[in-house]
Amino acid sequence: METYIINLLVLISINAILAVTLNFILGYAGIFSIAHALFFGVGAYAATFAAMKLGLDFTGATAFGMLLAALISLALALPALRVRGEYFVAASLGLQMLAITVFTEWKSVTGGIGGLTNIPPARIFGFTLTQPEHYLVLSLACLLAIILIIRALVRSSFGRSLKALRDDEAAASAFGKNVSVIKTSAVVLSSALAAVAGSLYASYLSFINVESFVLETSIQLMAMVIIGGTATLFGPVVGAVLIILLPAGLSYIPHLPATEIGSIQQIIYGLAMVLLMIFRPGGLWGFQENPKAHA
Amino acid sequence: MRLVRSLLFVAASFVALSSARAQDVIKIGADLPMSGPNAEYGELFGAAANLAVEHANADKMLSKKLVIQFEDSQATPQQGVVAMNKLVSVEKVPFVLSAFTGVSKAIAPVGDRAKVVSVNGGGIGPDLAELGEYFWNVIPLVNLEIRVMAPYLVQERGFKRIALIYVDDPAGEAINKELAENVPKAGGQLVAQLQIPRNAQQFTSIAARVRGANPDLVFIASFGAQQAQIVKQLRDNGVSQQLAGYSVFSSPTVTELPEAKGALFPTQSVDWSAPGMSQRVAKDWKAKTGKDPSFFVANYYNAVMVFVTLAQALEKSGQPITGENLLKQRKATGTFDLVGGKMEFLPNGSVSMPIQINEVDGGAGKVVKAGTMAK
Repeated sequence: METYIINLLVLISINAILAVTLNFILGYAGIFSIAHALFFGVGAYAATFAAMKLGLDFTGATAFGMLLAALISLALALPALRVRGEYFVAASLGLQMLAITVFTEWKSVTGGIGGLTNIPPARIFGFTLTQPEHYLVLSLACLLAIILIIRALVRSSFGRSLKALRDDEAAASAFGKNVSVIKTSAVVLSSALAAVAGSLYASYLSFINVESFVLETSIQLMAMVIIGGTATLFGPVVGAVLIILLPAGLSYIPHLPATEIGSIQQIIYGLAMVLLMIFRPGGLWGFQENPKAHA
Repeated sequence: MRLVRSLLFVAASFVALSSARAQDVIKIGADLPMSGPNAEYGELFGAAANLAVEHANADKMLSKKLVIQFEDSQATPQQGVVAMNKLVSVEKVPFVLSAFTGVSKAIAPVGDRAKVVSVNGGGIGPDLAELGEYFWNVIPLVNLEIRVMAPYLVQERGFKRIALIYVDDPAGEAINKELAENVPKAGGQLVAQLQIPRNAQQFTSIAARVRGANPDLVFIASFGAQQAQIVKQLRDNGVSQQLAGYSVFSSPTVTELPEAKGALFPTQSVDWSAPGMSQRVAKDWKAKTGKDPSFFVANYYNAVMVFVTLAQALEKSGQPITGENLLKQRKATGTFDLVGGKMEFLPNGSVSMPIQINEVDGGAGKVVKAGTMAK
């Protein structure tokens, strides 16, 4: 039982890192990206490559993944400088599809459809993480660090600039904000931090393949952010908890056939999204952090 | 706070109730896709496994009632791992049925760490034989199929020039490698090796390249709806040569296609009319579903029966049914009498079984060469 709960908590932490980093661009900067799974994948593949081929430990491999994700994110940031709203969604969709092709075809690095197996466990400061509880501590520490980084950024002048862009880009630009630099920095930061989740995921599962980094993953991450609450610090964490626990919880309902769990889960997701948009457009956590906004 | 306490109480009650029930039964797990686009496979595999459980309980083969705890993998690695962890650490099962390459590869390390056996009966990529001691395959992997098919095509049927169309996945690549090795060995020539992406749907240019290579036979290594499209488009574009494929060619989407008539494909050898277990499974499956059983039915039935055979031996010798003991017992057991005849595990946990060659005849297929063992 303990291992099962720990496993769920590790996966919640990893998904929460992804949701929190997506929220940074989606909630605070108003950049609707559906390519976040791409940076999750880049982090996972790059960290695995660094660990298996270059012999780097978790910190080195993760840093390598972050650097690569940051560089690749420029490909996403560039269209973000020129387009906004639904046009950006289309641009990010294109990038996500391109990434899936690369993950599938670049077999020497990604292992193709078959993926990479026997990924070594994370090694950090000479200590090898072999037990699920080790990963729980590491993933929670990473999540906490990322939340603190984002909290500091959001409360800084950079964060205020992001919100200004989100609310009215033309007005922000008229007030002298450098839209290009702010948007690019936000996307690069978000992508680099998402790569941390990829590194954790790869070493925890010991296996990765393209199926974990597809468009559905990006959409699920967006659902976590929206259900939890956009532009809130803990909303995406709440969203991650709900979305990961929902199928697990449903499997405990007696007399519910396993064949129905998936469809019930989809119905609950859909209903939750619709009801939230009607009754709590700020998400489940929305009221906690913005009481004045909803007064 | 009160709500949280109540929820915890309810959760604890469920766990307590399920562990009390667990003492009265022997439980194995199934980490299969029960929802989503691949749910039909999960249902098929699960129904076959349930039939084996029904037979084992009816024959009182074990000291307690055997049950299967199903968990939905949704055919995704992450969900597969969540389900596997539940089976291993909550349900404490020693043996788990698995399907789909991605899920199998993701759960193998979990099973390895917990010393719980995982068994694949659906995926055929040869990379599934490299997932550690606790990961077994009860289905002959594709490399064994090709080792029987290549000499048959070249030497017995005289198809010396073979063109291959293969999908870009581990099974497709393995077939390419095996044909490249075994066709020349049999005295033939692989005149074209044409790779296609998994989601490709237009094969006009592929048909042109096949015509250009002028083969005696076109071997199609794809799966799902794509292989039916390849067959149809090859014929529509003037490719009239003999067609062949591997075991997934037995899918009704291909066998019911008029353009596929006469195509050759290997499957593991299952004589459903053989008296004993095979006949019983065929009869009961038909009674339940109204259909003839496929080799997937044989595999998931066999997977459960492998567990039953090993658990029976452990009970007889007074040893607990754990994953570790099941592995030891499997190594000590030579052959298993199962649906389709005798099955023997190779040292890497995959199996060697007789492989037969079939011809598409518009129905379930006609056997054109009886089962032989791969060399």
